[in-house]
Amino acid sequence: MKRAQAKKTSATPVVPKPVRETVLVLDGLSKHFDSTFAVDSVSLSVSAGTIFGIVGPNGAGKTTTLSMVTGLLRPDTGRVHVHGADVWADPGVAKRNMGVLPDRLRLFDRLTGSQLLHYAGVLRGLSGPTVKSRAADLAVAFGLEDALDRLVADYSAGMTKKIALAAAMIHSPRLLILDEPFESVDPVSAANIIEILQKYTAAGGTVVMSSHSMDLIQRICDSVAIIVGGKVLVSGTMEQVRGAQTLEARFVELAGGRRAAEGMEWLHSFSD
Amino acid sequence: MVAQLLRLKLSLLANTLRRSPWQVVGILIALLYGLAAAFFGVAALVALRFADVQFAGTVVVVLGSVFVLGYLVVPLAFGVDDTIDPRNFALFGMPSSKLAAGLAASALIGVPSLVVAVIAVAQVITWSRGPLPTFFAIVGAVVILGTCVLGARVATSVAAFLLSGRRAREASGFVALVVIVLLSPVAVVLASIDWGKDGTAVLASIAQIAGWTPLGAAWASPADAAAGSERMALVKALIGIAFLAILWFSWRALVAKMLVTPGRESHARRESGLGWFARLPDNPAGVIAARSLSYWFRDPRYRISLVMVPIVPVLLIVPLYTAGVSWQYLALIPVPVMCLFLTWSIHNDVAYDHTAIWLHLASNTSGWADRFGRVVPALVLGVPLVLIGSPICAALFGQWSVLPSLLGLSACILLVGLGFSSVMSARFPYPAVRPGDGPFMQPQSSGTVAALAQSISFFAIILLALPAATLGLLGILVGGWWPYAALAAGLIVGTAAFFGGLAWGGRIFTNRAPELLAFSLRN
Repeated sequence: MKRAQAKKTSATPVVPKPVRETVLVLDGLSKHFDSTFAVDSVSLSVSAGTIFGIVGPNGAGKTTTLSMVTGLLRPDTGRVHVHGADVWADPGVAKRNMGVLPDRLRLFDRLTGSQLLHYAGVLRGLSGPTVKSRAADLAVAFGLEDALDRLVADYSAGMTKKIALAAAMIHSPRLLILDEPFESVDPVSAANIIEILQKYTAAGGTVVMSSHSMDLIQRICDSVAIIVGGKVLVSGTMEQVRGAQTLEARFVELAGGRRAAEGMEWLHSFSD
Repeated sequence: MVAQLLRLKLSLLANTLRRSPWQVVGILIALLYGLAAAFFGVAALVALRFADVQFAGTVVVVLGSVFVLGYLVVPLAFGVDDTIDPRNFALFGMPSSKLAAGLAASALIGVPSLVVAVIAVAQVITWSRGPLPTFFAIVGAVVILGTCVLGARVATSVAAFLLSGRRAREASGFVALVVIVLLSPVAVVLASIDWGKDGTAVLASIAQIAGWTPLGAAWASPADAAAGSERMALVKALIGIAFLAILWFSWRALVAKMLVTPGRESHARRESGLGWFARLPDNPAGVIAARSLSYWFRDPRYRISLVMVPIVPVLLIVPLYTAGVSWQYLALIPVPVMCLFLTWSIHNDVAYDHTAIWLHLASNTSGWADRFGRVVPALVLGVPLVLIGSPICAALFGQWSVLPSLLGLSACILLVGLGFSSVMSARFPYPAVRPGDGPFMQPQSSGTVAALAQSISFFAIILLALPAATLGLLGILVGGWWPYAALAAGLIVGTAAFFGGLAWGGRIFTNRAPELLAFSLRN
């Protein structure tokens, strides 16, 4: 609730409460493919009850980092602790506390929407009746009521994202790791999802998400890390990272690589 | 524009030669096959020039009709990768009638069209028996060429149009399978004809009918002219021309329609309730079993193995029977063989999930639950198969004393196979057909790992079933208590291998799950 109020008065920078518990710690996480480092000793810590954004250009290592956090990709070196439990040494505890939305991985899409939610819920250790009632709630929250009886393979890209997001939340984890949660989601659904996430963090949940949309990250995230070339260039609260600029300006400044579009004058003289 | 499209088709053809060496080899083999077929066709047609009119007409009309039918049906059944699909030109804003003409002309370039052209011209030689037959043969050649090329284009486009939806694409392979299965009675009928005695009469009556259809009319018209009935020749030539005209107008209509219809929406199926999930316990092994069961009945990649399992014993028994093995012994084959293929079909089960397997990793699913859930469908089908099939086969064999051996061997193969497949699918996955692709599509890369994993899992199952098989054989030869020894050996080996395999495979899965996902991401 406090956070939500802080949002509204964001004109005056608010110093975040330092007493918050740290729910996710990345410590020197590295991964290389062949000879190139996809992720080069990334260290981050995320406080409970916040929305943490990870931004970076294409191929910066965002997905690789998040895959190592969620236990989908084995890191070469480094550790990940979720709520005190090491993801790779004590996966049972760590994974129970995480809800995961990976990017560009398939779903079991020959199941109907309700079957997929049931499947995810029971794999997460929920009882049958609990899964059913939560699946119904999630369907309403994400506007998927009409789609539950259809095969996920027949969903549109945005609907697939939404059902995957619902499946990630069904076991009420402490931490949500969302890789590109708003990609191909329509604005109305995105607004709904943001509201759900903000209520979730207000109640003490934590969200880590990556996105290409700087506006969105700036608008909803409390803290942010900019990753370029597998390294964290800067991380901290939103105010610390962007200073007086917009996040986008700061990002472009850090990531570099803005090219003036020269030699394209022909595009401005139209052919008939 | 026609010239442009022709050039496009030529460069597309040239570019196929720039792909991997194996594809070039494939194209060359296709070309060689096509030219060889054309060569034999030409040789036969030239030889028929010297046969009597009746005989030559019969042969040309029957084979010619089959030939044209092939051009119409093959693209429909198998669905072709169409490089010059009219829809590819939708954004260029060309008038559709010009586009239709251009695309039809460019379809003349290619091995199949070359083969038709050669055959159609050779057919003129057969009927060079006077001015009128030659005239009708030349008209026929043009009509045949046009019918085949345009017919293939229309069939290809209809296939691409109809088969664009996911479900339809999956179905196309089944259509082919069904066609083949339906054709087998025809083959039996043809095989049962005493060709030496009635052959020519049967062929002549087939030719009589085929000559009046659009498929055979163009072939039949010069034959009629040569036989002296010019009026029939004219009517049949008109039938051929009319069919060609119909093809042309449908092609133009199709192009016009396709240009403004970007893709066909597939009709989504609804299924209310939880299906198998409602019937199985709400624990990880239970839901994985429910998921597997749903996939076995819904996913064409699994359904194809369901279809193949009963076909394989037939394929084994028919040659053995024709080789003179008595029915009695053949009755022992089906149940063990079906068990073998049923269990073998899941030896690459993890690869079938592709990257969807991440859900099992993210929720820390135990390897045991994953392994057990996946064998449930094969167990659900296999146990009744053994329990019901064995007594039936023992009855066919004629001695009830064989029943314990048969039960023991079949159960052994079923259990060993499931245990061993559980290990293989966790340890040695290889690229499989991806979810949503047709069941006959080949994965991007398979190679030696696939062949090795397939043969290891196949022969290991047979090896572990050998004790039960040997004891069962002794039971047939010596009798006494041997059949019960076979039953005991089968159950003991089978149970041990089943639970051992699940436990071992489960441990592998738990330890290697991230590597399994990484493997799926690569393929």
